[in-house]
Amino acid sequence: MRRAERSPAPPACGLRVDPYGFERPEDFDYAAYDEFLSAYLAVLTRRALKWSRLLQGDSGLRRTATVKRYIRKGVPLEHRARVWLAVSGAQAQMEQNPGYYQRLLRGERNPELEEAIRTDLSRTFPDNVRFRKMAQPCLQKALSDVLLAYGLHNPGVGYCQGMNFIAGYLILITKSEEESFWLLDALIGRILPDYYGPAMLGLKTDQEVLAELVRVKLPAVAALLDGHGVLWTLVVSRWFICLFVDILPVEISVLQTVLRIWDCLFNEGSKIIFRVALTLIKQHEAFILEATGVPDICDKFRQITRGSFVVECHTFMQKIFSHPGSLSMTTITRLRESCRAALLAQR
Amino acid sequence: MSRKKTSKSKAGSVPAASALPSPNGARPARPGTARSGHEAPPNGPQQRGRPSLGGGGDFYDVAFKVMLVGDSGVGKTCLLVRFKDGAFLAGTFISTVGIDFRNKVLDVDGMKVKLQIWDTAGQERFRSVTHAYYRDAHALLLLYDVTNKASFDNIQAWLTEIQEYAQDDVVLMLLGNKVDSAQERVVKREDGEKLAKEYGLPYMETSAKTGLNVDLAFTAIAKELKQRTMKAPSEPHFRLHDYVKQEGRGASCCQS
Repeated sequence: MRRAERSPAPPACGLRVDPYGFERPEDFDYAAYDEFLSAYLAVLTRRALKWSRLLQGDSGLRRTATVKRYIRKGVPLEHRARVWLAVSGAQAQMEQNPGYYQRLLRGERNPELEEAIRTDLSRTFPDNVRFRKMAQPCLQKALSDVLLAYGLHNPGVGYCQGMNFIAGYLILITKSEEESFWLLDALIGRILPDYYGPAMLGLKTDQEVLAELVRVKLPAVAALLDGHGVLWTLVVSRWFICLFVDILPVEISVLQTVLRIWDCLFNEGSKIIFRVALTLIKQHEAFILEATGVPDICDKFRQITRGSFVVECHTFMQKIFSHPGSLSMTTITRLRESCRAALLAQR
Repeated sequence: MSRKKTSKSKAGSVPAASALPSPNGARPARPGTARSGHEAPPNGPQQRGRPSLGGGGDFYDVAFKVMLVGDSGVGKTCLLVRFKDGAFLAGTFISTVGIDFRNKVLDVDGMKVKLQIWDTAGQERFRSVTHAYYRDAHALLLLYDVTNKASFDNIQAWLTEIQEYAQDDVVLMLLGNKVDSAQERVVKREDGEKLAKEYGLPYMETSAKTGLNVDLAFTAIAKELKQRTMKAPSEPHFRLHDYVKQEGRGASCCQS
């Protein structure tokens, strides 16, 4: 493992509920991850110092190579909202449209949209104490407002299941409805292709793009799935729709896998999703190839999102940039075009 | 979908529902496929799957694929978890995004019937993602929520979708769920019965919370599918409609 300057674990490590309300699984094996946790805390401390210096400088958060490198190594929690807002362009949008979020909520109502959102409020992070009905304040109200405002802002998308997890996660990090709204807009409106619209064409396209990438980079896995007639939707649709929330470790204080992915997603764009997906599949290629049938394949794809490989987020994030090999935006764009055309032709 | 972890013991021992039967229970040389255009009848059941690998103890004589469909929030995941684990997920489950499945082996008149039950996202836009799986389904449980009129009104749209994408001989059953919420009920039992009659569907009211008629619904499906496969001439003909009417009667007396 990493060179570990053994620092004492902070109280957060021993608690079952982190300060952001996420519960660690009851069977979480602290002993097994002790080395990782203490080493990662040292990393966090080191990064925090570097970031403080960076943010004090004049160059600030322009999208330079240094900033990109820093972001890949993890944004400290205290700066995360600010960095996401800056690099995604959400901050600029928010500043250009003062009061817009509040006006949306005061504007014309849409009962159908409200009903669709209401159905999912109690089904979003039920394990997180801050989303429970008894919580003070209960974040379900903030979640409802952000989703409602977004649906009114972008009626072409409205509300799509999966957005509840994304908005909920943004609320936990930013602690601000308005910032969450603009970050959601950055993701859905600019960073991601059309994952959430009624036709979900961007989602279907990207699933096919991943399939194509696997065919080239990991042909045996592709052959296994193709041979069993497994549509990629079955195993990866949640990866794309939920952006790994509720799939990889979501905890905020230490097991930061999803946060670390989102750091890069906001800065580098949707390509990161393919990097993560390919890394998970490549790392577990032999394990996946043991599968003998469709249910077994599905099970394996669930299992590869758990365990030490994804818990040890710092190493994991290094791997996503080395493991899948080169992945140029030109390739992704080309594949997106051809897959999209094929899907449209099938209709 | 439930937050519970899937049992690892079953991994590696479960043959594909769509896999073609092969001699001696060996691994199929040519796996079945869920894709359209395949020659093998996707609706043909899988028989005598005797997995030779793994120690999951997941033995069965015949396997079928069942899908749960219906509007978002009608209780598909809860119904499945009630049937699978005998528990009710009160406030501990998340919206199902995409598609997921669980297996349960039932004993039907001395035969082990494995149901592979697929749980789907209910939101309309996900239908274009999930309907690809209808084609392989042997049975569909179509749910609405008796406390949600819109979910009942949408049943016709679901039936249109099913007609378009499912096999012609798919076993279909209509379920009015959440009957435990008597105070909030807005769809009367008679309305459900009438609709079911109109389309010739077996119909039951269920409660994933209390467990009312949940096992019965799945058992009825399993019996019907088993009977279709086995066709033993000596056996009395199983009538799904009669069975549901007869066995589900306990439900109606619990109302009011």
